[in-house]
Amino acid sequence: MNINPMPRLVMTGTRPFPPAQSAFTQRFWQGLDEGQFLATHCPHCDRLAFPPKPFCPHCWQRSVQWRAIEPRGVLYSATTIHAAPKVFGAEAPYQVAIVDLRASLRIATRLLGNTPTAQALDHEVELVVLAYEDGPLFAARLPDSP
Amino acid sequence: MSRTVTIVGAAGIPCGRVQTAPGLDLQVLEHEVLAGCVLDAVAQAGIDKASIDAMVFCHPRPYTQQLYFGTFMANYLRLPSNGVVMEVVGNGMTGGLAFDQAAQMVASGRAEVALALGVNFETAIGSAEHMNRSMRATGDVAFHTPFGFTPISWYAMDAMRYMHETGATRAEIASVAVKNRRHAALNPLAQYREPVTLDEVLAQRPIVEPFGLFEVPPRSDGAACIVLASEAAARALGRPHARLIGRGFHHEGSHQISEVPSDMIAFNAAVRAGAQAYQAAGLQPADVDVAELYAPCTIVEVLVSEALGLTPRGRGAAEAAAGETSLGGRIPICTSGGLIARGHPPFITPLYSYIEVFEQLTRGAGERQVPGANIAMAACELGNYNAALVHLLEAAA
Repeated sequence: MNINPMPRLVMTGTRPFPPAQSAFTQRFWQGLDEGQFLATHCPHCDRLAFPPKPFCPHCWQRSVQWRAIEPRGVLYSATTIHAAPKVFGAEAPYQVAIVDLRASLRIATRLLGNTPTAQALDHEVELVVLAYEDGPLFAARLPDSP
Repeated sequence: MSRTVTIVGAAGIPCGRVQTAPGLDLQVLEHEVLAGCVLDAVAQAGIDKASIDAMVFCHPRPYTQQLYFGTFMANYLRLPSNGVVMEVVGNGMTGGLAFDQAAQMVASGRAEVALALGVNFETAIGSAEHMNRSMRATGDVAFHTPFGFTPISWYAMDAMRYMHETGATRAEIASVAVKNRRHAALNPLAQYREPVTLDEVLAQRPIVEPFGLFEVPPRSDGAACIVLASEAAARALGRPHARLIGRGFHHEGSHQISEVPSDMIAFNAAVRAGAQAYQAAGLQPADVDVAELYAPCTIVEVLVSEALGLTPRGRGAAEAAAGETSLGGRIPICTSGGLIARGHPPFITPLYSYIEVFEQLTRGAGERQVPGANIAMAACELGNYNAALVHLLEAAA
């Protein structure tokens, strides 16, 4: 399957809470910087895992492979956080979401755009790369978002 | 060879702001406060100090100066034990795990009397500062925390999904806060005892949408001690007590969300833990007379009451709004005022549920007394109800 690179939004400043990375998971963040959304796939039981892991959480086999998945899905739920942890204080209020990807993986991420309402749930979203000065994050956005 | 377990005593300080600011000349010390609860609970039970053979502590907050808290308390109380002295931790479930482990000590015969106890001081630390730490407990530090999820943001997303799927209204969900304040007004251990109106709840400043200030948990300090005893020991005391008749636990093997899409608001762990407890007790949900449910936000009380079969699926908010879960209603829930109004010192919060259940079953709940309460439920959780622990108890004389 041919997957187009994710849209890239250039962000000013650094990530408020840089993600912990390992020698294994850094492949995900490198891929994200290149516009790919990578999960781990188990050839043994043919299931995907996200967050990526150096083993299959379903069958515990170690022979997993990286696989780019389609950065699209539907909005399962969302909220706007007004009372934020100190490190995110400057960004508040901000929106977060749970997204069910087409690859049947549920992820949690930022949501770009206006205040979500219950009516926005189950709508299609796409994932985008947030290119901060110190590295990437990802976010979901509704089609009508800037 | 499992023995029947009872609660014979339970005491706690009123939830509220107790912790002193760092650097003050005179500090309120956690171990002094907790020792007071131990003496109160043991006096209430009428047991001898020498009969206590196990202490299971809730791990204290990282802000507590005294480390190795449990073993320090064994010294402070001068209490040798043959059973166990240990600390447990499990986020919001911590108090439930302490109770559960103390019950195991009695059930196994390793202790005739066991204490489940703990102290949680944290209010001298501001909320934004505190969340810098707690956000790392309720999310994956690599794949959730960088987006800024707060512990209660997951519950807020439960509420958004619930309204989307069931058509429940904001007012119906918010009515849980009005009800819990009404209950807390009758509870001397409660932190917020002034009644509030539905309009006041809906008008609060937003914390995490759709919730305003009165639908989320307050910051609380607290300390509590529960005395558990074998049934033989309880009978010898000759006082009303509460008999443990059912227990269930389930961890669904996920943290906040399941990477395999599932029905997040079904609270599956509570469904399974509840089923285990009902089966062990030979009871049905309709048999429960009063329930203390761990619910940091209004929506959580709605969803867990549905998961445990106390209200019909998709109707929990409507039933709360109709008064079915109030004192005097069909199934009174959180007669203590619950986390929102009684207070929420997270690492010991479930201990306050056992205090309420004990008082209800021994006719000691004063104006909150549910007439004829014979069967009571206590439930607690961690994450977004990713794990649930349920206990069923009955009144015994």
